[in-house]
Amino acid sequence: MSRITALLLCLSMLCLLPGPAHSASYIEVTAPGNRQLKLAVVPAQPAAGAAAHPELANEMAETEAFDLNMSGLFAAERHDAAPLPQGLGLSVIDYVPWLSAGYDYVIRGEYALRSDGLTAEFRLFDVLGKKQLLVKRYIGQAKDLRYFAHAFCDEVLGTLTGEKGAFTSRLIYVSSQTGHKEIYIMDWDGHNTQQITRNRSITISPDISPDGREIIFTSYKRGNPDLYKRALSSTVDVPISTRRGLNITGAWSPDGTKIALALSKDGNTELYTINRDGSAPTRLTVSHSANVSPAWSPDGSKIAFVSDRMGRPQIFVMDANGGNVHRLTTNGGSNFNPAWSPKGDKIAYTHQSGSFQIYLMNADGSGNTQLTTVGRNERPRWSPDGRLLAFSSERSGSDSIYVMRLDGSGQTKVSHTTGQNIHPVWTPRR
Amino acid sequence: MRKESKGLMIALGLVAMMAAGCAKEEVVKQDEPVVPQQTVKQAEPAQPAQPAAQQQEQKQEATASDEAAANALETVYFDFDKSDLRQDARDALSKNAEVLLKKLADAKIQIAGNCDERGSDEYNLALGDRRAKSAAKYLETLGVKADRISTISYGKEKPAVQGHDESAWAKNRRDDFVIVK
Repeated sequence: MSRITALLLCLSMLCLLPGPAHSASYIEVTAPGNRQLKLAVVPAQPAAGAAAHPELANEMAETEAFDLNMSGLFAAERHDAAPLPQGLGLSVIDYVPWLSAGYDYVIRGEYALRSDGLTAEFRLFDVLGKKQLLVKRYIGQAKDLRYFAHAFCDEVLGTLTGEKGAFTSRLIYVSSQTGHKEIYIMDWDGHNTQQITRNRSITISPDISPDGREIIFTSYKRGNPDLYKRALSSTVDVPISTRRGLNITGAWSPDGTKIALALSKDGNTELYTINRDGSAPTRLTVSHSANVSPAWSPDGSKIAFVSDRMGRPQIFVMDANGGNVHRLTTNGGSNFNPAWSPKGDKIAYTHQSGSFQIYLMNADGSGNTQLTTVGRNERPRWSPDGRLLAFSSERSGSDSIYVMRLDGSGQTKVSHTTGQNIHPVWTPRR
Repeated sequence: MRKESKGLMIALGLVAMMAAGCAKEEVVKQDEPVVPQQTVKQAEPAQPAQPAAQQQEQKQEATASDEAAANALETVYFDFDKSDLRQDARDALSKNAEVLLKKLADAKIQIAGNCDERGSDEYNLALGDRRAKSAAKYLETLGVKADRISTISYGKEKPAVQGHDESAWAKNRRDDFVIVK
């Protein structure tokens, strides 16, 4: 324990060295190599004739700074500046003060809150290149202000890297806040939390359809651990696999046509695929052991899973039809919760030898890298852009949902619900 | 499957013969006149048999205090990450079988497999399933009919005791026996 503390101290001292690049309010560890780009987010100014609502402007600016910091590309911070006298309009900004303050990019904006809703416009400026890179205008209601900020940050990353951000994604997860494990949804940064299920039972292991419209989960609401499906727009749980025994760890195939899951109807817990309505079960694994937690490769051709066929639970991979099984993890201990990266090149998982920690490996099992060190950490899941991992950690007492970058930096608690908070899953971008 | 049930029948036959043998000895000692009749009757059921009147009496007792009867079914404990039955588990299960064959001859039970907090919750669901099933199988070999037994796994969702040490874990790695009918 003291060794971990010492390591953390070293890391946080390293963080302090680069100085101004690390002014964010949460602890983070810089990736070696690239210098982070310095970005100023100026709170948006009221449009001509619109009333000032600094609390809205500040919340949007803080949201943008938080998102862009977590991307790992930027040291982003809110930076107050005098309003542009002629508004955003067609005016060019004065780049000189930003240049001398060491900034690479500046975001400025304009907003108008009227009786019929909220309008916001954001612009990204390249300080060194002295040019405007991106303009986006958002029209909606006041409650959408965080969504506006997230949506703009998705575009900023798209403009600068060619790969959009995923800050408009939300996280589905399980919380025991009410005393029962139920499914919840929140923005990726923990805001706008809503309870989805009210089963007053044990409801766990959610997954979301690739189109973002439906979730599946396992619930004991009718006694047996059955698999249910539910449209996010609905309050009705539709049972889709109620076979005798376990109906657990459902995982939607990338093309949305099938669900892989673990069933114990034939004795052992084995992996099967079923159609999205629960029909046509096809058995994939044949063993005398437990097989759970299927994870599809993004092209749908392979499935990683957990099996204890060789002793302690380990991660294996097979073709999506069940053929060509081989073991991926050989680093001792037990290994759980495989999650395939959106690009297909990496698998994140949980390694247990004493404590539980999140690891990353190449999809062929090589190159194991430990990402977490503090507390018990489980069940990593990739953001749709592959830049972030969500996971659960009980480092601060009871389990909470955390988010971090792929190098283990920026580990940040995002869930606000009490009790146990586990099983995060990212929705597609909104 | 066929083979297994044939083996089971042979085993049950042996049990029945042994039961009959015991009864005969007892009867000889008591020197009652109805010996031959009783012996024939007792050889028929594939379970350790009892006089019908006595069975009836016990059944009434059971319905009178269902809770006491449920408590008569002992919890079975397991080693870490294991689902095979220890000696103490087999002892407990044979006592449970005795209760299910005599006192609670009509009862249906659900065996709930549970795990300690270590291991992933998803994997533990499968481990709990295996624990429930290994107890179910053993009860079946002891003569409890399979259609009286159902299983469920709660993984680590329903710990018997809170705590993060071996003494808590040992109490949580278990099969609970619940009377469902």
